[in-house]
Amino acid sequence: MSAALGPERPQVVAHAQQALSYTVFDCKWVPRSARLLCLGSAARGTGVLQLYELHGARLELLREIEKPKPIKCGTFGATSLQQRYLATGDFDGNLNIWNLEAPEIPVYSVKGHKEIINSIDGVGGLGIGEGAPEIVTGSRDGTVKVWDPRQNDTPVANMEPVQGESKRDCWTVAFGNAYNQEERVVCAGYDNGDIKLFDLKTMSLRWETNIKNGVCSVEFDRKDINMNKLVATSLEGKFHVFDMRTQHPTKGFASVSEKAQKSTIWQVRHLPQNRDIFMTSGGSGSLHLWKYEYPAQRSKKDSEGSEMGVAGSVSLLQNVTLSTQPISSLDWSPDKKGLCVCGAFDQTVRVLIVTKLNKI
Amino acid sequence: MPVWLREHSWRQTLSAVYLSLPLRGARATPANIFCSEQYLKVSIPPFLFEAILYAPIDDTNSTAKIGNGNIFFTLYKKEPAMWDSLTLANADKDKLQDLRENAVLKAHEKAKEETEAKKITKQENKKYALEATMKLEEAERKRIEDLKEKERQKVAKELELWKNQQKDGDKYKSMQKKGTLHQEIEPLKQRKNEKMNKTQIPNEGTSKTRLKSTKGDGSCSIFSQNLKEELLPAPRAAATIKVNFTPRVFPTALRESRVAEEEEWLHKQAEARRIINSDLSELEDLKEEEKNPDWLKDKGNKMFAMGDYLGAVNAYNLAVKLNNKLPVLYLNRAACHLKLRNLHKAIEDSSKALELLTPPVPDNENARVKAHVRRGTAFCQLELYTEGLQDYEAALKIDPRNKNIEKDAEKIRHLIQGTVQSS
Repeated sequence: MSAALGPERPQVVAHAQQALSYTVFDCKWVPRSARLLCLGSAARGTGVLQLYELHGARLELLREIEKPKPIKCGTFGATSLQQRYLATGDFDGNLNIWNLEAPEIPVYSVKGHKEIINSIDGVGGLGIGEGAPEIVTGSRDGTVKVWDPRQNDTPVANMEPVQGESKRDCWTVAFGNAYNQEERVVCAGYDNGDIKLFDLKTMSLRWETNIKNGVCSVEFDRKDINMNKLVATSLEGKFHVFDMRTQHPTKGFASVSEKAQKSTIWQVRHLPQNRDIFMTSGGSGSLHLWKYEYPAQRSKKDSEGSEMGVAGSVSLLQNVTLSTQPISSLDWSPDKKGLCVCGAFDQTVRVLIVTKLNKI
Repeated sequence: MPVWLREHSWRQTLSAVYLSLPLRGARATPANIFCSEQYLKVSIPPFLFEAILYAPIDDTNSTAKIGNGNIFFTLYKKEPAMWDSLTLANADKDKLQDLRENAVLKAHEKAKEETEAKKITKQENKKYALEATMKLEEAERKRIEDLKEKERQKVAKELELWKNQQKDGDKYKSMQKKGTLHQEIEPLKQRKNEKMNKTQIPNEGTSKTRLKSTKGDGSCSIFSQNLKEELLPAPRAAATIKVNFTPRVFPTALRESRVAEEEEWLHKQAEARRIINSDLSELEDLKEEEKNPDWLKDKGNKMFAMGDYLGAVNAYNLAVKLNNKLPVLYLNRAACHLKLRNLHKAIEDSSKALELLTPPVPDNENARVKAHVRRGTAFCQLELYTEGLQDYEAALKIDPRNKNIEKDAEKIRHLIQGTVQSS
C-alpha cells in the first residue's frame, strides 16, 4: 500500500457542512445541478427529504418534505435528465418514485417488500447507457426485486430464497454490465457474506461467492460498460476488488482484498469521471481514497487451458477522518470532478472537495 | 604528622601578591589547594602548607599555577595596600582554628552558591530551547494551515464558477428547449389542423396542443419522453430466480472475528443435545422416573443396602449416562465395586469422584473423605500399600478426628514396615 508523493497527493478539503435534526441515511446529488438531497428518519418516526443548494461555503435549505415512513435509500439512476425523479425505498418496504416539484403524491408506488428496503439502485436513466430504465431493491426479507417504472405492482425480476430456506438480509444491490439494450446484471450482497451475481438477460445466477464477512456495499466501477471491476466492502474493515472481465468456470472472478481500518466499511463509491479511483467510508468516521492499478496481464491461462483473471493492486491515495460516527452514505457529483457529499450518523452532512484528481 | 612546607617565597605589588611554593617532589592537583578569603592551604600528604593571610584577598579571581615542581599563586588583594608580611604573625591557636573553620564554611557557601547559579542558568537554557522549538513547530503548523486555506479558497472559487456555469447552462438549455418545442409544435399543429379539417373534430386537437404548450417544462419532458419511449424496449418479461444462501445458524451477520466463538457455542450445544439424544434410543422403554438420575441413585443405594451389588452398579451406570457430572454417583459405584472386588474399577471411580469434587470446600469434606478411604482400601487390597497410605493420610488431613481412619492408617504403616523389615 504505497501513497502518492507528498505535495502531489489529492487533498480532501471540507467545504461545507450542515447539522441536521434527523438521522440521515442517504445523500445524493441532483444531477446537473449544485443541489443535493438528504434522506432520513426524523426522531418521531417519519421520513424526511431535504433539498439543499450549495451557496459558497454553506448549504441553503430549499425544500423539506415529510413522509409517513422513514426513508432508507434513494437513487436518481433510472430517470431521465429532464424529469429527475427520485426513487426511494423506505423502512416499510415501499418503493416510491417522486417528482420533487410535486412531492405530495408519488409518480409510482408499490409495496415491494415485507421489510425495510436496505438498498436501491437505478439504471437506464440520466442519459447513461441504453435499455429500459430499471430500479433494483434489496430488502431484509432476503429478496432482491427489479422494477420497471412503466409496469405497476409486479417486479420484472425477483430473486428470492428457495422455498423453505431461511432468509438472509440483503444489505446492498448494484446494477452493472448494461452496455446494450438486452444485457443487465444485478449484484447483491448479503449479511452472511454472500455475493451473488444475477444475469437478467438469461434470468439466472451467474456467479456467487462468500467473503466471510457481511457485505455492506457493492458497486461496479461503471454501470454502462462491459463489466470491468466490482468493489465489495464488508464488516471488519475489509474490501475486495474483483476483476470482472474474465470468469473462470470454477474459480469465478479474480480478486484482491485490502484491510483498511478496524471498523466496518459502510460505502464504496467510484469517481464518475475516473473509474479506477474510488472512495470508501468507514465506521470510524474516516474516508479513504484508493486507486486501482491494473496488472501487466489481465488474464492468463491455467493448467487446463481455461482463462482466468488476474487481479491488480490497490494503493491508498489519501485518508481523512471527519467524524467520530460512521459515515454511512457517500456520493460523488457527476458534474464536477472531485465534489462529493457524505452523510454521517452524527447528524451532519458534509460537502467535500477532493483536489488534484487530474494529476493521477 | 604533616611535613610543613616553609620554603615559600613571595613578593607583592599594590594590588596583588605573588607567592611561589616549591613542592619537594610532590605532585599537586587543583584538589589539593584550598583557598578562601583570608586562608590558604596546600595539602599534599604528607606535606602541608598553610597561611593566614595578612589581609583578605579576592579568592574568586586569584589563580594558582601548578608546574615545574612548584605552585605559583597570584592573589589579588581586596584592598590595595602593601602588606607587612604574607601571614598574620600574632596568631594564636584558637584564632587560627576559628579562621580555619570560617574559611571552610565560606568555601562551602561559595560552592553552594555556585551550584545554585549553575542550576538556574541550566533551567533558563532549557526554557529557551523549549520556546525555540515551540516557535518552530508553530511556524510549521501555520505554513501547513495556510497551504490548506489557499487550497480551500481556490477550490471554492472554482466551485462558484462551475455553479454559475450550470445555472447559465440550465437557462440556455430551457430556452433552447422552448424554442425547439415551439418548432416541433408548429408542424404538429399544422398536421392536426389538416386532420381537423378532414375529420371535423376541432376541439380535441387544439385543446391537446394548448395543454402541451402551457405546461412549460413538464410538457417538454413528456413530449421528448414520448419520442424516446418508442426507442426504449418494453419492460422485461417477469421471472423469478431462486436463490440458495450459504448456511448460517445465527440470525446475525457473519463476522470473521466471531467465527471461533460461534463454533465453540455450537459445539457445546451439540454436546448437550447428543447426551440427551443418545439416551433416547435406549431409554424409550423406561418409565419416566427411571430417567431421573436422583431416583436411580436412590434405587442404587437401596440395592447396595440389600446386598445386590450388581444391580446397584447397573443403576449407577444408567444414572451416570444421564448426568456424568454428579460425584456422588461415582462415589457410590466405587463402594459397590469394592464389595464386588473390582478393585481397579473402584480406584477409577473414586478418582473420578475426587476430580469432580475439585474445589475442596468444607461442603464436600465428607464426600472427599469417603473417596479417599475407598481408594485407599482398594490400593491396599491390591497390595499397593504406599499408595493406600497416601490416600488414608489425605483422608486424615481432611478429617483428623476420625478414629477408624487413624486405626487403619496405623495398620497399613505397620504392614509397610513389616514388609520392609522382612525383605
